[in-house]
Amino acid sequence: MVREQKQLSLDSDMAKDVTAAVISSIRETFSVEVSAGAPEFGDGMVSLVGDISGIIGMVQKQLEGTLMLCMTFETVRDILPQVLGKSVTITHEMAVDAVGELTNMVFGQVKNELNQRGHQIKLGIPCVVTGKGHFVCQFHRGKYMIVPFQLDGQLFQVYVALHEVSSGRSSERN
Amino acid sequence: MSQLANLKVLIADDHFLIRQFVRNTLRESKIENVQTAADGNEAIDLVQKARASDVPYDVVFLDWNMPTISGLEVLSYFRAKPEYADTAFVMLTAESEQQNIMKAIKAGATSYIVKPVSPADLGKKLFEINEWIKRKRQMSGGMFG
Repeated sequence: MVREQKQLSLDSDMAKDVTAAVISSIRETFSVEVSAGAPEFGDGMVSLVGDISGIIGMVQKQLEGTLMLCMTFETVRDILPQVLGKSVTITHEMAVDAVGELTNMVFGQVKNELNQRGHQIKLGIPCVVTGKGHFVCQFHRGKYMIVPFQLDGQLFQVYVALHEVSSGRSSERN
Repeated sequence: MSQLANLKVLIADDHFLIRQFVRNTLRESKIENVQTAADGNEAIDLVQKARASDVPYDVVFLDWNMPTISGLEVLSYFRAKPEYADTAFVMLTAESEQQNIMKAIKAGATSYIVKPVSPADLGKKLFEINEWIKRKRQMSGGMFG
């Protein structure tokens, strides 16, 4: 029997999934609390600024998208001692490793929630982009959602963008 | 002394953060005999060397996605060898799809833990894993001892 695939959309349900995944991943791994702000929904290109961004591509039958966790080095430096110890000097490599794993946990959880609701999405392999104050932006003109989070007064963001693929699978386009 | 304190544990995960997180949790349960591997090849090597030296691991935590060889492949490799039957291989991974969980259980995973996991929940799992090891050893003692 072929299960019907539900079309994914950026809405308050997805914002709730993202928020829950970020809060639980950070709470359980680092034993610290983060608070989420109101999600922002938009259309078209948008740029985010950060120092370390974990990025994963996502596909559904007629959708492709990008999931991104964008943090500053200061935010990562503040939470890492919870696991690595207060006496450890946090290096760039440690921060990259942590954001990579956090990206994996957050979006793994989001995928699980969405697929339990019948969306059948697939994720690609995560990658991490670093560079002080780098810009990350998407080039398609799809819809996006940004969920802001605060951790001890420092801001970080999760960005989700979706782009409809007009004819069949995304890999078939030029 | 904690009943878990004598366990010898290997943590195989390519992320330093997770290796340290699990090590911290084990330390809270007084488990100090802990080694780490950053990929599947290193995990296989360490598990085999420990067995050859007659000081085998009791528990091996395996991430699913690791460089060189995946955690699932490491699990399948050792489950095909009867001498590792009483070693607990525990998948600790962000991979949460039901079909993958079933795949790991079929391949012989002792337990499957989805990340993120709290230190308290991981601690509880350790007790279950320890009970599994005790049962396995009692059974093999009854058959061969």
